[in-house]
Amino acid sequence: MTDPSPAHAAAQDLGVQALHAGYGEIKVLQGIDLVARKASITAVVGANGAGKTTLMQVLAGLITPSSGTISLSGTAIQAQPTHRRVAQGVVLVPEGRKIFPDLSVRENLLLGAVTARARPHRDETMEQVCTMFPRLAERIGQLGGTLSGGEQQMLALGRGLMAQPSVLLLDEPTLGLAPGIARQIFRIVPRLRDMGITILIAEQDLHRTLRIADYAYVLENGLVAAEGTGEALEQDPAVRRAYLGRD
Amino acid sequence: MLDTLLSGQLLFAAAVLGALYALIGLGLNLVYGTMRLLNIAHGDFLMLGAYGAFWWFTLTGISPLIALPLIAAGGAGIGLALYALVFRKQLATGLAPAVIEARSLLLFFGVSVVIQNVTALLFSATPRAYRHLDTVYQIGQTAMTGNRIASLLVALAILGGVLVFLNRTLFGLEIKALIQHREAARIVGINVSRVQIVAIALGFGSAAIAGGLLSMTEQVTPFMGFRFTIAAFVVIIMGGLGNILGGIVAGFLLAVIEIYAVTLFSAEARSILIYGAFVAILLISPQGLLGRARR
Repeated sequence: MTDPSPAHAAAQDLGVQALHAGYGEIKVLQGIDLVARKASITAVVGANGAGKTTLMQVLAGLITPSSGTISLSGTAIQAQPTHRRVAQGVVLVPEGRKIFPDLSVRENLLLGAVTARARPHRDETMEQVCTMFPRLAERIGQLGGTLSGGEQQMLALGRGLMAQPSVLLLDEPTLGLAPGIARQIFRIVPRLRDMGITILIAEQDLHRTLRIADYAYVLENGLVAAEGTGEALEQDPAVRRAYLGRD
Repeated sequence: MLDTLLSGQLLFAAAVLGALYALIGLGLNLVYGTMRLLNIAHGDFLMLGAYGAFWWFTLTGISPLIALPLIAAGGAGIGLALYALVFRKQLATGLAPAVIEARSLLLFFGVSVVIQNVTALLFSATPRAYRHLDTVYQIGQTAMTGNRIASLLVALAILGGVLVFLNRTLFGLEIKALIQHREAARIVGINVSRVQIVAIALGFGSAAIAGGLLSMTEQVTPFMGFRFTIAAFVVIIMGGLGNILGGIVAGFLLAVIEIYAVTLFSAEARSILIYGAFVAILLISPQGLLGRARR
């Protein structure tokens, strides 16, 4: 993926206003406002249970919010089912990878490009993904479930890229990975932004995340506790509290 | 003894029955795999297909083989109506698979009772049969009736067609993906309800076709479906729930057990051996012969 393909060129921004969501009686998000600007990296950091994964799932359409709006370049999308959002380029790389264990690496990648938006570019994107992750190219015929954790994360990321994302939602992409692979993921994310993809990343690795983020939000108990540029937040005591206060 | 075991006659009988079991198992597996619906009315859709074929032949005199697409469309249509009226809402609310399984079991039990009794009211409980393609062909030591040959060929063709569809097309890949990991299927952007509609049409349509084929060689009654519902469940559990290929293998295996049990022992040994083999396989390999589809 050395040069941005046409679909990426139309970068979009993602906005969230007064978002409330939860599971039944349990309220997790209690009024979130945030913006992921076009072709930038926006980080969502916070301790376990702060609501990061719930936020990502609501944005992807896996959970229906109880109130609030989600807008993609100004158009409200909160009522749309997941497949409609993917068709517009809002693509989730989920926590825990969620690859198809009994399908081959190739089939996993092909499934990343099921939408009409992605299908015409399928073969070239597959080549680009294989260039970006040579390990996937080596294991293209293996079953997804036989890959190591790091390889599965690459597969999940590659599958997300197959969808021609304009907004990529990365949920805990380095969780449980060996340090070397985590570093590799952190190197790739800025490259994706430079290709024109808008990135919203939820992460536990505070320092590395803030270092690559253009802008960041700190989530605490389902609310935005602090926001600012990555650098500014690294100095902020509220950030330390959000992390050390709960874990 | 060995002569009996290897006789073409028994193998042919097992192949005919096995192809039917594989076909009804396939339909049940598609519906279960993509929706987690436990359709215990599956055999009743087979029964409806059998009545469809019986009445078609009785009224028009034209071979029911010609009417199979129509019979399949009828089965698919009833399945889709059930989906639209009963299950779409249930599935859309994001219930846990276990809850869907439990509710669908009860709902389909009701559907089964209604279908059986409405059929008995309309057509009476009298067994019906007709003669079609019953010429006997002798190949070597093996005598085969035309209708059994036709039944075997049609069932094999449908099984082959569905396997090619699942393994060679993008839509087939989407079906397999949904069976394997529901949430991941949503995440990659698969239109889940569209896949479910196709699975319903395939699942119920193939059950009706199996009934149409069976009607050429067996008596048709409103209550004939139960035996096949049980067989279909044994087949998909033996093959691994949601495992399409495993189900097909298990269908043939079950038929071999059944045919040989009846021949070597007695008709009573049939159910003992079927359930014995079923329990034994579950004890040895709880995920079925070829493993269960995950989630």
